[in-house]
Amino acid sequence: MKKQNAAVNRKAPASAASESAKVRIRQLPSGVRGLDEILGGGIPEFSFNVIAGTPGCGKTTLAHQIVFTNATRAKPALYFTVLGEPAMKMLRYQQQYSFFDESKLGRAIRFVNLADIVMDQDLNAVLEEIIRQVTTINPAIVVVDSFRTVVRKAMNSASELEMQSFIQRLSQFLTGWEATTFLVGEYVEDEIRDNPLFTIADGLFWVWQVTERNSVVRKMQIMKLRGQASVPGLHTIRISDDGLQAFSRTLGMTGRKTKAGRRRRLSMGIPELDKMMGGGILEGDSLLVAGPSGTGKSALATQFIAEGLRQGEAAVVALFEERPDGYTTRAGNFGLDLKKPQDTGKLEVLYLRPLDLSVDETMQAILDAIERVGAKRLVIDSLVGFEMALAPGFRADFRESLYRMIGALTRAGVTILSTVEVEDSFNAMPFSHYAISFLTDDILRMRYVEIDGQLRKIMVVIKMRGGNHSKDIREYIITDKGVVVIGPRQTDYTGLTTGIPTRVGRREEPAPEPREKK
Amino acid sequence: MRDFAARLIAHESGISSDAGNGVPAFFVFEKLRPHMATLMGNGGYRALLMRTLALSVGEVPFLSSVRVSVEGTMEGLDHPDSPVDRAALLDAGVILLAHLIALLVAFIGERLTLQIVHEVWPKLAAKQLNFSIGDKENEKTKRRR
Repeated sequence: MKKQNAAVNRKAPASAASESAKVRIRQLPSGVRGLDEILGGGIPEFSFNVIAGTPGCGKTTLAHQIVFTNATRAKPALYFTVLGEPAMKMLRYQQQYSFFDESKLGRAIRFVNLADIVMDQDLNAVLEEIIRQVTTINPAIVVVDSFRTVVRKAMNSASELEMQSFIQRLSQFLTGWEATTFLVGEYVEDEIRDNPLFTIADGLFWVWQVTERNSVVRKMQIMKLRGQASVPGLHTIRISDDGLQAFSRTLGMTGRKTKAGRRRRLSMGIPELDKMMGGGILEGDSLLVAGPSGTGKSALATQFIAEGLRQGEAAVVALFEERPDGYTTRAGNFGLDLKKPQDTGKLEVLYLRPLDLSVDETMQAILDAIERVGAKRLVIDSLVGFEMALAPGFRADFRESLYRMIGALTRAGVTILSTVEVEDSFNAMPFSHYAISFLTDDILRMRYVEIDGQLRKIMVVIKMRGGNHSKDIREYIITDKGVVVIGPRQTDYTGLTTGIPTRVGRREEPAPEPREKK
Repeated sequence: MRDFAARLIAHESGISSDAGNGVPAFFVFEKLRPHMATLMGNGGYRALLMRTLALSVGEVPFLSSVRVSVEGTMEGLDHPDSPVDRAALLDAGVILLAHLIALLVAFIGERLTLQIVHEVWPKLAAKQLNFSIGDKENEKTKRRR
């Protein structure tokens, strides 16, 4: 009784007690780029996890990446193989990945085959062997691959209670031994409700491989993770020579700083256009340049980039149609040198047209480039090309992902110019064939008009979220200096936005580019 | 690969007290067995030995009397169907081991194979853990001839 009283008397104030009593869960790095952010920082230490999915999703590769990232001689990993992929094959294939470090095998990573015991004996013997190996090797990480094959045989003979008891005892032992565990298995989602494994597990990493038309898309979901908040939803994963890479739906930008309150006006590199825009584009704005093919959207974008470079602002150009060499050469034709800034690391021109591209990994490539060069200006040329480069399965996510990326980048102060090709209609002036204008702060529309037997070009600032702008419809031409906006015309027209205007004033001035003489 | 196999057998013969009484290569196989069984299961090691045997029979016909047990041991070389002199037995052992190591190299590569060998025979000198030592010396000898 005395002791009890002493304990009561020692009781600290509630707030202090809760601070000191709260256990701090250490997190292990997954070794998978992008995954730690999805997990909410990393893998909780001593957690009992399931990596589930259908064949070919990358479950074993994921387990290997975790093991190779964390295993050391002092804190080794024990990898139990069963009846799935034989260890010999596993080593043969996994050594092709860049994360594979053969110097860790044997000392830091031990492979043990459980197949004979699983085949010949019951679950108690399997558990005894796991306990024997774990107590001998003293691992910090334990993997059982495939756990499904461990229990498959027993499922036919053991009761559900026995199965649950086996999983419970395994979990208790491994957690008690201070091991972080991964049970790899081929499961389908329908099993989640009835399989006790998913109830007992602390973490449930589910991977999918979905075929849509000719494309294959891999996704991951953290269905459950005790002790920390993971990013919900499906995240794209890709398997390359470096193993798995995960692309968080938040694009890793949750913690990015927002731009300062007062923003500068940036020059577009076309003085007359700057005037039309009320002094230039606001720093950190997203500008959509819409127009049909050949109206000079890319030329204008190049001038925007070149002007930034002149002002010492690094830039990224993401191309989805034109090749970087052609783009650089064409800029040279306008007297804009984009080669030197590329050589000095002030400009990166990305060409993104691989097969089965996912929105998130494309955006990751852009974000990486922005990070590398410290870009202040970004051109996406064009959004239509971007969407077309995506695997069909990802196109549905396009606008949502684009919205997230543009929002996060502009909040961080990057000024974005996106081009979009629209067909000229002769009774309306659409900004885009799909609703993406909500993504942008500013819209500049370029279009063809028929005047005096010539197909000329006009532009107009449709909106500038950050302030007032010119409402004038201005004619422009493309010369060897790029897009040149012509001064206000004396001749008045009506119906310019229809493309077939009607002259309402006297003709007083010559055409900006003379007509052929008859 | 045969030079490497021969070096491994010589090393094992030097440390094994029973090596003089049987086929030295078999002591190598026996020493490898638990390690390989842990890595790939008895069945996996047995499959590897069966392939080793099949590859070796073409070069050493009397090995056809050898069987691989369920536990992954080689049986029958001590009592071949027809009498075989000791030198031929020793050579057969080298050929068997060379094929086994070559199979491992084919599956998991040189570095991992050498790592396994090093784990089983940690006292084997580092310079011995090299597949090309014997080959280079053989080439030099050939060139001299």
